[in-house]
Amino acid sequence: MNNKLARKLITLALIVIIALIFGATTKSFYTLRNFQMLLREAAFIGLISLGVSFVIIGGCIDLSSGGIICFSGIVCARLAQMGAPGVVVLLGAVVAGCLCGAINGFCITKLKINDFVTTLASGYVFSGITLFLMFRDARGRIESPLIRSESFLVFGKHINGFYYITIAWIALAVIVYLVQSRTRFGLHVVSMGSSEKSSAMSGVPIGRLKFLTFVLCGAFCGLAAVFTVSYQATTYPNLGGGMGFQAVAACVIGGVVLGGGKGDATGAVFGSVFLVLILNGIYKYGLSTAWQYFIQGGIILIAIFFDALFGSLSQKRLELLSHADEIGTGGETLNAK
Amino acid sequence: MRSEEIVLRAEGIRKQFNGIEVLKGVDLEIRAGEVNALMGENGAGKSTIIKIISGVYEKDAGQIYIGGKAVEIKTRQDARRYGISVIYQELSLVPSLTVTENIFLGQEIMRRGLPDRRAMKNRVCALIDTYGFDLKENALVGSLGMAKRQMTEILKALSQDAKLLIMDEPTSALSAAETEKLFETMNGLTARGASVLYISHRLEEIYRMADRLTVMRDGSVVGILDKTEITPEKVTTMMIGRELKQTQKRSVRRSDSQCLEVKNLSYKKLLTDISFCAYGGEILGIGGLVGSGRTELIHCIYGSAKKSGGSITLRGKPLSGRVRRNIKNGFGLVPEDRRSEGFFAVLPVERNINIASYDFLSAFGAFVKRRQEIANAENAIDKYDVRPAMRNIPVENLSGGNQQKVVLGRWLSRDLNVLLLDEPTAGVDVGVKADLYSYIRELADNGAIVIMVSSDLEELTNVSDRILVVREGKIFAELTGGEATQTAVLLASSGIREAEGDAE
Repeated sequence: MNNKLARKLITLALIVIIALIFGATTKSFYTLRNFQMLLREAAFIGLISLGVSFVIIGGCIDLSSGGIICFSGIVCARLAQMGAPGVVVLLGAVVAGCLCGAINGFCITKLKINDFVTTLASGYVFSGITLFLMFRDARGRIESPLIRSESFLVFGKHINGFYYITIAWIALAVIVYLVQSRTRFGLHVVSMGSSEKSSAMSGVPIGRLKFLTFVLCGAFCGLAAVFTVSYQATTYPNLGGGMGFQAVAACVIGGVVLGGGKGDATGAVFGSVFLVLILNGIYKYGLSTAWQYFIQGGIILIAIFFDALFGSLSQKRLELLSHADEIGTGGETLNAK
Repeated sequence: MRSEEIVLRAEGIRKQFNGIEVLKGVDLEIRAGEVNALMGENGAGKSTIIKIISGVYEKDAGQIYIGGKAVEIKTRQDARRYGISVIYQELSLVPSLTVTENIFLGQEIMRRGLPDRRAMKNRVCALIDTYGFDLKENALVGSLGMAKRQMTEILKALSQDAKLLIMDEPTSALSAAETEKLFETMNGLTARGASVLYISHRLEEIYRMADRLTVMRDGSVVGILDKTEITPEKVTTMMIGRELKQTQKRSVRRSDSQCLEVKNLSYKKLLTDISFCAYGGEILGIGGLVGSGRTELIHCIYGSAKKSGGSITLRGKPLSGRVRRNIKNGFGLVPEDRRSEGFFAVLPVERNINIASYDFLSAFGAFVKRRQEIANAENAIDKYDVRPAMRNIPVENLSGGNQQKVVLGRWLSRDLNVLLLDEPTAGVDVGVKADLYSYIRELADNGAIVIMVSSDLEELTNVSDRILVVREGKIFAELTGGEATQTAVLLASSGIREAEGDAE
């Protein structure tokens, strides 16, 4: 069996097993309502991690998505309160996200600042700008007024229990998957993540490509912000807090390996579902926040360890395979390394 | 301060890898206070014998004597204990620490559980004084030039009472002034009775520095020359052995209209005023020493290095400085370091073959045409006999030779005008080498301009139709037809123009 497929099936199997355990041990797990909420939450992390997956597959990392969501959120709220139609608000938020991504991309590709440092810092900068833009009452205290623009609040609604964010997430996941596996752009991103130098020597436009992955990541964050602000009908300074980390975690759990060149949208999707499932379970069991952090962190460590193990195992398997071929055809010797 | 006292003697050292005998009974003798130079072509076994002496590899047979006593050197620690030290380029130094800190890194002098800075400083100052080095004990290593870093390395070895220092091509990264400084350092060492085993490809350094010269070829020592006996002709003949003259010269269908012209090209301080033409149907070899600017020349043509001056034209039209454009115009590169610049280790063979061709493998420049993608990969795998013939396995699981076939296969489906090869068969086994040559020849026969950089003299002289020898960033010699012998290339690489006729 294909390694990539095996990796995905393992994540999927874990999701099913955990769902079964939760279902058997808690009361309200197997309710339609719970599934709808689960999928809505997974869609929030999921949309972000779809964007982040481009960056990670391309060999970089983006830790600023929390800040971008925060910033796009206030852009959303401001536009909606000014009475802009829903579509304009949506576009505005996505453009805001792209702008943040472009700033990241500029710092990384043109100013040659390390991606980790850039996005760690820019995340704070975006959150800081958000605070300036926040709604304040007469005494200067931050407030979160309810948004009443009907055409904007539509994005937070659902059809038969399927929230628009969930639908958008799944549709976009399919598109992202196709982009990553079937377009020149996607393949170039994978090759860039696999070896930047080799890509450059093969005529892959590294700078432009890297810039685009960050812009795309920003766009997805902007989109995630639109749906969430609309669902909550307000925004607050802490919107998206911790999301940058969770989106990266979802990717890693789903087999989008840090360092680049491996994984795709399905991984990001499975990872998001897995993460949300665990968080839901913690909530259902009535465990404290301490456990939430502890378990999330633990899962990420296990996922990374697992990938390292999985990598070395499949390496050995392949070597055996190649050797078998060598004996079969009387071919040449293989490098042990 | 040469004496007849023998520091190290190796007798009948044998070593084989995977059943291939790399050392066939090597005898080596190093006297106290001498600079013993070790020369030989790539693959002669120089590195292997050094690694055995310094405890990196274990020998299969033979005996090593230190100061007359038989010893077993099994690990690097053993070697160090017997006073043998290898001076690595800069690899083992920490740039953010001072000279003293680096020298005592991991073996600090301790006093009541704390490092005794004063004692260490005094020790280093004493060493610097003794050997007359031009070095400050409190300088940050990161702020030092290459020569001084090497001094630090040497001091580190001396602080561990090294009696024999092994230097493997120490000058390849040094400027002329720095080389001079290193030579002074070496003189200081030998004056105090330490010995140096000096490996170099540069004949001119050998004449100057070596007290004795040991020449290796094909895993054996073929001669030991005393300082007075060292002459270029003697050395090259020993290194190359009996040179087989090519009996049949290929008839090259050179097409003069298909011409790549390089005019007055310069690149940083590495290349100056390079001018030549390369023609379709011809394989143009580029020889010279490592570090002479050959690789930079290739990268300037390809567009992956930005030339500082001069012009490069193809059929009279100036080239783009961009890799992407050049690939569109039919350029292809097989880079020197295939692992980092050539292939994508974790990606499957098919992606590696297709990576530069998605312009025609995708519809509207965006959507990949899967069927053509597979066909293109399978065509290259089939044509170049990549084994195992599987397009889905990661390239890192192939042997070196097959990896190289994949990298070459990348250009197969494109209309190749110019193929640039940099050490195309490094780390490739003999059988695959011959295959690669025939593929390269075929590409040339189809009208491509082929430019091949190689350090392998046999390859360079056998495969190329014409050879340019680059030396210190300039074209030193152009060798055509009968002049293009291994001896001539070797001499030209060291800046010596050969007189009439070949050596033997």
